[in-house]
Amino acid sequence: MNDLTPGKTENSRLSKWSRRGFIGAGVLAGGGLLIGIGVRSGNPIASLAPKVAAGAGEQLVNSWVKIGVDNIVTAIVPHCEMGQGAHSVLAQMLADELDADWGKVRVMQAPADGSYVVNDTARMFIAPFTMKAAAWLEPTWDGLFTQIARLADGMITGGSSSIRTTGQHQMRVAGAAARQMLVGAAAEAWEVPPTEITTRDSMLRHEGSGRSAPYAEFASAAAEQPLDQSPKLKTTEQYRLMGRSKARTDIPAKINGSAEFGIDAEPEGLDLSYAATIRPPVPGTRALGMDASRAETMSGVLQILNMETFVAVVADSYWQAQQAANAIVVEWSASDSPVKTMADQYAVFAAALDEAGESGGSEAAARGDAMGALADAATTIEAEYRVPYLAHAPMEPINCTAHVTDGKCDLWTSTQVPLRVRSAVAGTLGFDNDDVTVHHPYLGGAFGRRLDPANATMAARVALATGYPVKMIWSREEDTQKALYRCADTSRMRAGIDENGALVAYDSVFTQRHDPAEACVPSMYDIANTSVRVAEAELHLPFQAWRSVDHSQQGFFIESFIDEAAHAAGADPLDFRLSMLGNAPRHKAVLERVAQISRWRDIWAEGTAKGVAIVESFGTIVAEVIEVDMTSGRPVMTNIWAVCDAGFAMNPDGFRNQIEGGIVYGLTAALYGELELEDGAIVQSNFHDYKMLRMNEVPEITIGIINSGDIPIGGAGEPGLPPAAPALTNAIFAASGQRMRELPLAKQFA
Amino acid sequence: MHKPPFLAASMLAIALTGCGSTDQPQVIEQIVVRDPGDPAVVSQPVSDSASAIIALGEDTFQSCKGCHQISADARSSAGPNLFGVIGREAGSLAAYSYSDALLAIDWTWDEARLDAFLADPGGYLPGNEMLQGAVRDDEAREAVIAYIAAQSE
Repeated sequence: MNDLTPGKTENSRLSKWSRRGFIGAGVLAGGGLLIGIGVRSGNPIASLAPKVAAGAGEQLVNSWVKIGVDNIVTAIVPHCEMGQGAHSVLAQMLADELDADWGKVRVMQAPADGSYVVNDTARMFIAPFTMKAAAWLEPTWDGLFTQIARLADGMITGGSSSIRTTGQHQMRVAGAAARQMLVGAAAEAWEVPPTEITTRDSMLRHEGSGRSAPYAEFASAAAEQPLDQSPKLKTTEQYRLMGRSKARTDIPAKINGSAEFGIDAEPEGLDLSYAATIRPPVPGTRALGMDASRAETMSGVLQILNMETFVAVVADSYWQAQQAANAIVVEWSASDSPVKTMADQYAVFAAALDEAGESGGSEAAARGDAMGALADAATTIEAEYRVPYLAHAPMEPINCTAHVTDGKCDLWTSTQVPLRVRSAVAGTLGFDNDDVTVHHPYLGGAFGRRLDPANATMAARVALATGYPVKMIWSREEDTQKALYRCADTSRMRAGIDENGALVAYDSVFTQRHDPAEACVPSMYDIANTSVRVAEAELHLPFQAWRSVDHSQQGFFIESFIDEAAHAAGADPLDFRLSMLGNAPRHKAVLERVAQISRWRDIWAEGTAKGVAIVESFGTIVAEVIEVDMTSGRPVMTNIWAVCDAGFAMNPDGFRNQIEGGIVYGLTAALYGELELEDGAIVQSNFHDYKMLRMNEVPEITIGIINSGDIPIGGAGEPGLPPAAPALTNAIFAASGQRMRELPLAKQFA
Repeated sequence: MHKPPFLAASMLAIALTGCGSTDQPQVIEQIVVRDPGDPAVVSQPVSDSASAIIALGEDTFQSCKGCHQISADARSSAGPNLFGVIGREAGSLAAYSYSDALLAIDWTWDEARLDAFLADPGGYLPGNEMLQGAVRDDEAREAVIAYIAAQSE
C-alpha cells in the first residue's frame, strides 16, 4: 500500500509542488514532459478559485503542456475557439518562451468531459505521484476525479480573457519552466553549466562542446529537474514570436470548409433524428396544451412532445421537424409581466428613475459633492439616453446533439462554457457530472449567446424522452425571439460646467448594472465631483452578457454626454477630453494619437464631420474617430480610425481583427439593433428585420496599436465595441447639430 | 476616486450568468407518430374534407413560397403573385416580367391547365422559366391547386 498521506514526502519530487505555486511537472506515459499549470495569484480567474476549489490546499489546474518524444509541443487549454483566434496566439506565447519551433507547436482545446484530463493527461500526470499524492489532491482516485471535475467548471471563454490570463499566466510560464528544465537535463547529461546552453527552434546547443539535441531527447529527463515556480520570463526585446502577426492556425480549415462547428456534428455510429423547438414567445410562460393534429400527419414526423417549458418535434430531417413545428398551435400560460410593449418597459425604467430622483438610488461611485457642485455650476446640462434590447444573432444557429443511453449522456454543441453545460445537463437528467460528456467543436460566433446551457438541457431532455440520438436546431426565429438579451436601459445624466468651461460635476442614474462593475464610472476623467447611481428596475426579457456587456450601453451614455458637455463648454470635444486626462497618461496618448491619424485638427472635408469617443474596457484603452457625410440627410460613414493600448498586442493582426470586429458589431447595434415588443413577445425574427451592417456600409477602418508595455495586458475581443456608437453619434451631431440620445439610429433618418 | 479591482468580480459574473436556466425533466404530453426507420405512415387525411385538402395544399405550398406569394396586395418576386391565378389570362400581370414562352400563349389558367403545368412545367410549356417546383405527386398537386384557389378568395 502506498503512502497517500500528504506531508510525508518532502524529499520526493512532490516537494516541488507548492501550494502557492500552482505548477507541477511529470513524465508522460511513453516518455515526454508534462507540465500542469494552475491559476496564479494576480490572475483574474483566481477569483473563481473559491467557487470551484473550496477546500484547503485545493488549487485550480486548468492547462496542460506536453512535450512529446516526437518533439511536438502541445498545449491543452481551457478556451474555445469562436472566431477570436485565441488558440493560435496562445501557441505563439508558449512557443516563444520555450524557444520552440513554431511549426511544431499545437494547441488543443481541453475536452470538457473530464475524461481526457483525468484518463489521459491527469492519469499520466498523476500516476507517478499517486503513491505520494500532492497535498492538494484528495488521496483517492475517486476524490481526484471529483476534484478535477469541480475545478474544471471554471472553464470559460469570455471577458476578453484568454490571452491575458491563460496566455500570460499559464502558457508563458509553462514554456519558460519547460525550457529551464530541458536545459537543466541537458546540462547534467553533457556535464556543462546550464548557462552555457542555448535554445532555439526546439533544439538545445552547447557552443563549447559542439553538442546539440532536439528537446525530445531530454523531455523525460527534464521531468526530474527542479521546478522553478517563478521561471524567468522573456523581456519584450527577447520576444521572437510574441508581438508578431503569425498566421492563425485555424484559418485554412475555415476557408476550405473542413472546420467542424457544433451544428456539423454527425457522430459516427449514431443514426440521428432531428428536433425543432417552439419556446414560449413571452418569457416565463409555459405550454399548457397543443394542437398537433396537422403536424402528426406531416411527412417525416416521429414524435411531438410538450415539455412544458417548450414544445419539440422530432423528425427524420430538420426541415421536416421545423415544418411540422410551424403547423402546431400551442396554448401558452398567461404572463404576469406588466411589460407588453417597449413603451411599458421604458415606463418601468422611468418609474424607478423618478423614485431615485436627483440623489437617490444605490451609489455605484462617488467623489466630491456632485449635488452641491451642480447647484453652484455656472452652466448645467441634463439629458436622458436610452438603448433597446439586443439579440446576439450569432451566425451558427443554436444547436445541440444529444445521445442519452444507459445512464450516460453525450452532447455535441458549440458553447463558451462546456463544463457549465455538463453540470446543467447532469442536473437536469439527475446524472452525475462524470456520466455526461460534452464534445465541443468550433463556435460559429457567440458574443455571449453561448454562455447559456438551455439548448443542451433541452436537447438532452428530448433525447431522454424519445430514446433517440437527437440533433436539435433552433430556427433563427427561435433564437432571435426566445433567448436571452443585452438589456434595454435608460440613463439620466447631469453635468455642471464652471465659468472657465471646466466640467466640475457629473451625475448619472440608470437601472441596469450587470458587469463589469466599473463600466458605468467615467473614472479616467478628472471630474472633481462625480456621482454614479443605480435605480434598479425589472427587465421583461432575460439578461445575458453581450459583447462588452455593460460597456455596450455605458460607453454610449458616458461618451455621448461628455460630448454634450464639451459643446456646452464651447470646447473642441477632443481637446475637452484631453484637458481631463491629466492623471491618465495612457488614455491621453491614445487620444492624441487618434487625433493625429484621423487628422482631427486639419480642416474637415466639405460636407463631413468627425466624432470621437474613448473607452477603457477589459484592460484595453480604445479611442475611435468616425467621419460621417450627412449631405444626403442620412449618416454615411466615410472613415473610421481607432487607436488601442492593450499594454502589448501579442499578435497585432489578430488584435486588429478583433478590434475591427468589435467596431462593426457595435455599429450594427448602433444603426440597426433593436428588439421591439408586442403583447410581451419580440417582434423581430430574422436577419431581414434584425439587420447586420453590410460590407458597403463599412468604410475603411484604420487601426493604430500602442504597446505602452503596461501590464497586466488587456483583452481584444470586446474593447473595440464601446466607443463605436458614441463616436458615430458625436459625428452626426458635429455634422448636423442633431443630438442622438436613443439607439438605433437608422430608423430615425428614414 | 481609485478604480477598484472590479475585473475579478466581472469575470465571475460572466461565468455565472449562464446557469439560471436549468430545465427540469417533465414531459406533459408525448405523441409517438412512428419509430425511426419505420416506413412513413402515409396516413394523409382519410377525410377528404375540403379543409383537410387545403391544409395539405398549404403544406405543399411551403416549397413554392421561395418564389411565389399569394395574397391580394403581395408583390411578385422571382415568380408571379398567384393570387387569383385561376381564371386569369396567362402572362397578364403588368408588374411581372414573364418569359417569352408565357407571353406567347393565349389562354386563361384553369384547374386542368394548372394541373398539367405543375406536373411537368418544362414539358407542358417549353421555354418557361419555372425551373423548379414541379409537384409530381397527384394528391399533393390537387391539394396545392385547391389551396391556391382558396387563398384567392
